[in-house]
Amino acid sequence: MGVSQEVHLGEKSMSEAAQLDVERDLDLGWMDRRGEWEIQARPSKNGLTLADIQIGDYGDPPVVSENQTGVPRGAAKRDGSYRIGAYGVRTKSEIWLDNASFLYEEALQRQWSSATDIPWHTIEPLPDDIEQAQCAMDTFLTEVEFVAGDVPARWVARTTPDFFEARNVLLCQVMDESRHMDVFRKRALANGGGLMCATGGTAGVVGSIDHSRDFTEMSSRLHISGEGAVLTIFRLGELMAYNDAEKAIYRLCAQDEARHVAFGVMHMRYMAETAPERHEEIHCYLDEAERGILSGSQNPAGQFTQTSESMAILLGGGKANFDEGRNRLIAIRKRQLQEYIKRVKSAGFGDRFENGRSQVPELLAEIAA
Amino acid sequence: MAKQDAKAAAAKPAKAQSATGKPTKKAAQLKQVAQPKQAAKGKQAAKPKQKERAQAKSSSQRVEDVSGGGTNLLTAVPEPKYDWMNKSRQWGVRVKPGKKGLTLGSLNVGIYGEVPTDWPDQSRNPRGAIPRHGMPPVGYAVRDKAAMWADGAADLYEEAIQRRWAPATDVPWDSIEPLADDVEHAVCQVCTELCQYANVDIEAISSWQHQMAYGYHEVKQYLATATFDAARHYEAFRKRALYNGGGLGLEGPGEVNRMIIESYGGWTETVAYLFLLRGTFTMTMLRYLERFAHNDAERYIYARVIEDKARHLAYGIEHLQYSIAHIQHQAGVLATVLFVGDRIFARDLRDPVLREALAIIFGNGIEGARATGLDTWDAMMRDFMSSLQETCAWLGIPRSAAGMPEAMRRYLPPDAAAEAASADIPEAAQAAAR
Repeated sequence: MGVSQEVHLGEKSMSEAAQLDVERDLDLGWMDRRGEWEIQARPSKNGLTLADIQIGDYGDPPVVSENQTGVPRGAAKRDGSYRIGAYGVRTKSEIWLDNASFLYEEALQRQWSSATDIPWHTIEPLPDDIEQAQCAMDTFLTEVEFVAGDVPARWVARTTPDFFEARNVLLCQVMDESRHMDVFRKRALANGGGLMCATGGTAGVVGSIDHSRDFTEMSSRLHISGEGAVLTIFRLGELMAYNDAEKAIYRLCAQDEARHVAFGVMHMRYMAETAPERHEEIHCYLDEAERGILSGSQNPAGQFTQTSESMAILLGGGKANFDEGRNRLIAIRKRQLQEYIKRVKSAGFGDRFENGRSQVPELLAEIAA
Repeated sequence: MAKQDAKAAAAKPAKAQSATGKPTKKAAQLKQVAQPKQAAKGKQAAKPKQKERAQAKSSSQRVEDVSGGGTNLLTAVPEPKYDWMNKSRQWGVRVKPGKKGLTLGSLNVGIYGEVPTDWPDQSRNPRGAIPRHGMPPVGYAVRDKAAMWADGAADLYEEAIQRRWAPATDVPWDSIEPLADDVEHAVCQVCTELCQYANVDIEAISSWQHQMAYGYHEVKQYLATATFDAARHYEAFRKRALYNGGGLGLEGPGEVNRMIIESYGGWTETVAYLFLLRGTFTMTMLRYLERFAHNDAERYIYARVIEDKARHLAYGIEHLQYSIAHIQHQAGVLATVLFVGDRIFARDLRDPVLREALAIIFGNGIEGARATGLDTWDAMMRDFMSSLQETCAWLGIPRSAAGMPEAMRRYLPPDAAAEAASADIPEAAQAAAR
């Protein structure tokens, strides 16, 4: 190291923090206590990404984390540290995904501002039925978007920092959802309308996203089915947009939601590969998700009339064209289910569509017939 | 194409799609559109294949409800009732973008800007919307405005979004040249501890955020930016530690971390520890680190983190101010909180690791640490104590030099020390300390 070693106070001084009487004395004992050394991360074509610093011990998250003090992964531990973490999520398979670093960096690069990146000036007065439908949808989205802010935040606090890559992606999601919550509120108040009726669609009932006691259970509901359904709508948002501002909102929100859904799919895939003993349990969560995907009130294209009628008005171009809007609504539902199947297959649980456990293929077959 | 359709629909909403009766270009984008009336009202949809039915019957876990009890939920769309229409607490709102765009704060007009002093509703009813009654609670525990509010939260939220940065691409990493071993080691040690600080920011805030009532969405949204900032700080300091031939150092002492994490009696208490005490210290340290940075990469990181932390501090101070103004005896409570916090903070200060690492950075080496680095540490600590005392005085939180641990008191400016010494130690504080 090339450093002169001064008086060493030893282990006790590190944990008990004995005061050095002579202020100008240097202990320097800490210089002998460190993580893996001589690390030289180098930027890749996308800059110095999290993936680029996965070097040596630093790139090797434990299968089961014993970290309860919050020490950064790879740093030297102090014996006397307080166990303040109380982390409930300490097993890698509970939360891990292989592309967390990528999703995190992408989230940072693709942040946007609802104040300045939306061309608000393109909004012109709309017919009253369309403005009301838009505001009803905005009210709904203002209400539900921050479910995906509240809930991931709670799980971040419960997850060991040894899995910080996954935690950082979830923190990006909280940020994204905060922006979604505000952009739909802004839209509702920007064009002569206002907020309308809340749906109560995120109430605290058993089986809700809020009340899940297991991360994967929560993720299957939030990322796979809930946000998956909303992602389909955002992707097709141009069909119900009446100006460039609304198109930009849907496009940018879809970009964010796609990352959130990818988190869920990739986590579930990791779970499928590393925790086969949990397969049946995961199928049960998917059973529940499928029960609610069209009947629950969290999917605005589902059976809840306030949102489905609003969507039909927007898709058709007004109350007078409700039937046409209804046809498009059904087409969106169909697309939601098709994309849901793709995600679940990609996550490694596609057998449910082959063995008759899931009715989703039958529903799609019926409509095709 | 769709843009044209949308414009046409906007201009002539009733005629746009129904006049000709032909499918529009919008519809053409969706293939295989179903015929809802036939599917819902006509003959029951095609029966599943025999094999599938047999498989389904053999599965005890078969999902029974997707079909909606005989109704195909995919195609079922009831005749519209429109009973949700014409229901709004305030209609006709038209907020226009200002010079900073369409900001969150600018939406606070009419009833949408009415922020009640308590928010008993435990659903996610957006403020200003008509609530849906009869729904089970989500479980928001912090429902008083005084327990979380800061008047500037909405502006801080927008500022955080405008000032976003990405360590991967915005930091000039190639400006980092090899440093002397002792200096590199010191930088890595400081980065290790700053990672831990960021981790505490993340865990403390995110453990409170979901408990905060939805009616104060500006605060929830601002805090989302604060944890996002902290995730970026964690990332940036880790990247710096692993870039230049070093690595992570020794875990920091955990006294203050513990104090912040375990201050779950109330969010305001957490704010006092996290933003006021730790936040002021971190802010001061970052300013010195920026001044003594060895390359543009470090300078950039410290400068951007300072910007982020300045918002955190601004929220914290504004919240404490609001809390003191609206809760009886709150200044006294905070005096007690800080009286206890000072002692814990002082215990962390006795640990030599951070002081020595910073002194080495400030002095550009071990020898420089002895010559000037420790003096710079002292100057930094005086600046910290001065800032802390000024903020507390501005907030009206009584502080007493006599009741302050020596490890902090020694850094008080002489006049402040004399002034603070004249104040009585709050009785409650003495009791808490005992």
